[in-house]
Amino acid sequence: MTVPRRTMLLSGLGLLAQGAAPALAADPPVAIVMNSAGATISVIDMATHRTIRTVPVLREPHHWALTPDGRELLVGDASGNALFRLDPRTGRSLGHRVISDPYQLWFSPDSKWLVVNALRLNHVDVYDAQGLRLHKRFYASSMPSHLAFSPDGSMVYSTLQGTGKVVAIDLTRMAVAWSRAVGPAPAGIIWHGEKLLCALMGGADVVELDPVDGHTTRRIPTGKGAHIIFPSPDGQVIYVGNRVAGTITRLDARSLKVEHLYTVPGGPDCIAFAPDGMMWISRRWADSIAVMDPASGRYGLVATGRSPHGVFLSTILPAAARNRAVLGTFSA
Amino acid sequence: MMTDPFMAVAGWLQQNAVLPVMYRFGWMQWEDLAFGWALFAVYGLCQVIVTFAVCMPLEYLRPVERWGNARAVFTDVFYTVLSRVGLLPIVTFVGFYEVQVHVSGFLVDHGWVPPTLELLIPGLLGHQVVTFFLYILILDCADYWRHRLSHMIPWWWALHSLHHAQRQMTFWSDDRNHLLDDLISALWFGFIALLIGIPPFQFPLLVLVLRFIESLSHANARLSFGRLGECVVVSPRFHRAHHGVLAAGQTSCNYGAILPIWDIIFGTADFSRSYPRTGDPSAEEALATGTYTAQQWAGLRRMARSLGRRTRQRVVAGE
Repeated sequence: MTVPRRTMLLSGLGLLAQGAAPALAADPPVAIVMNSAGATISVIDMATHRTIRTVPVLREPHHWALTPDGRELLVGDASGNALFRLDPRTGRSLGHRVISDPYQLWFSPDSKWLVVNALRLNHVDVYDAQGLRLHKRFYASSMPSHLAFSPDGSMVYSTLQGTGKVVAIDLTRMAVAWSRAVGPAPAGIIWHGEKLLCALMGGADVVELDPVDGHTTRRIPTGKGAHIIFPSPDGQVIYVGNRVAGTITRLDARSLKVEHLYTVPGGPDCIAFAPDGMMWISRRWADSIAVMDPASGRYGLVATGRSPHGVFLSTILPAAARNRAVLGTFSA
Repeated sequence: MMTDPFMAVAGWLQQNAVLPVMYRFGWMQWEDLAFGWALFAVYGLCQVIVTFAVCMPLEYLRPVERWGNARAVFTDVFYTVLSRVGLLPIVTFVGFYEVQVHVSGFLVDHGWVPPTLELLIPGLLGHQVVTFFLYILILDCADYWRHRLSHMIPWWWALHSLHHAQRQMTFWSDDRNHLLDDLISALWFGFIALLIGIPPFQFPLLVLVLRFIESLSHANARLSFGRLGECVVVSPRFHRAHHGVLAAGQTSCNYGAILPIWDIIFGTADFSRSYPRTGDPSAEEALATGTYTAQQWAGLRRMARSLGRRTRQRVVAGE
């Protein structure tokens, strides 16, 4: 299948990326893809869709976080117990350090903390963002998977996939604020307006939660195995990947009404947005990235390593440099 | 786009069979791990097919023994399917998941983050094939000692004798083990994983080859790898000596599973015996020809008798 190439919606990040294009002239834009069952990271030229570099890691790379200064991309190698440091422009390895079970990770918006979900060991670890020293370990039963911050960075919310709960941790007091059952196997979670949105992988919907105490205020049916939630760069729509159904649901960000349903079989997972409007979607069971045009739903395939998971596009770097807050949109 | 056929089949299984079942029964928190098991099952099935395709003609054309009634072999087929296609490993995984979480969590809390060989030996990172073979070397050595101890310790031998009781040894006999014996193996390798990590898993085809060697070594076939080859890889001739009636029990030989080097180094290699009869003359008949369940019970009874005897000896000795 050929990928329709067209420029669309040069708003938000797309505009920012274009504005800063000269800074990237030396390095072609790359997609950095974490192959969770291949112990490698694929660095793919976004223009040609060819793998230009394969970075070896230890065992099981899943997710990434960009350092607050934008100079390093940290990739968590969960069962390898290591954090790999990459140059986010080229994907070249800058080294690694030992850290326990880094599955999902993200820096707080105030750049103070790196919060790491250790899914295998039932820990939510808070590291000092500067030296990456462990500051506080929270025992979170069980299987902490995804996380989201409040905009001021004072709270972090982690989904507990094994026990159907969300736990809220107050980072100013370094204490659990609340823990609440939300539904079967909660996975992706994002801050949305004044609420939280959380996808229920054991269900077929996204629940809207009150961040004050976690009670459910609304339920939005999306598809069986709702797994991951990504807002578009312009904030107008929200995409929800439905793992069992093999679909992606597009919601209107304001009304949360379903606008469209895309069929993307092969275990759709993380999504990254390119400046040309295309969505790069990892397909966990199909060793590929679907590069999809959200206007038509048509997609082409880009080969990766085994079970691709997190996807980082170097084209977000200029925007990230200008506005840290925009990164919240891209956590993968 | 080139697609790995194993991944393609596993992916199809995951999407169309595994996930709908997990969703139906409320097990979706395990969906990521389930893909690993789908892949394991696909490779396992392929192992069984390849092993069957190669070993069956070998056993037909160059048999060591011919049997009028080979009913006892069918039980071994059941053991193989149970083990290779994934059911037994899943049960072991689920049973040990919480233990693994608590032990690893405890160690991490006390400053021991289980390393990997690549972190212990600088320079290995990026050389995945070398690392893989180094792991094989270490794990095969560890398996040699596990196997040797299972012959030396009386109650453990009582369990392991189930593997040796088969008088009609074929390539299906490799997975014929007592559940408790399998459990001890899982603990043994779990402990090693805490010390050196787990091997990289991006070489399932090599794992397939290694498992094939283990199955082949049990084949009822006159097959030697030659004077040099016998010292490099365990052959049916080499391993049959281990299963010989005279080698059953607490003094045996040729314990290696893949590499005979450990037997050579530690003085247990015996290249002189050629295709002896197999079996354990001291084992009760149920261990040899019973059904799966009968064999498992017989193994437990034998272990209980062994432990009882040991207790009585202690009492007599006044300990």
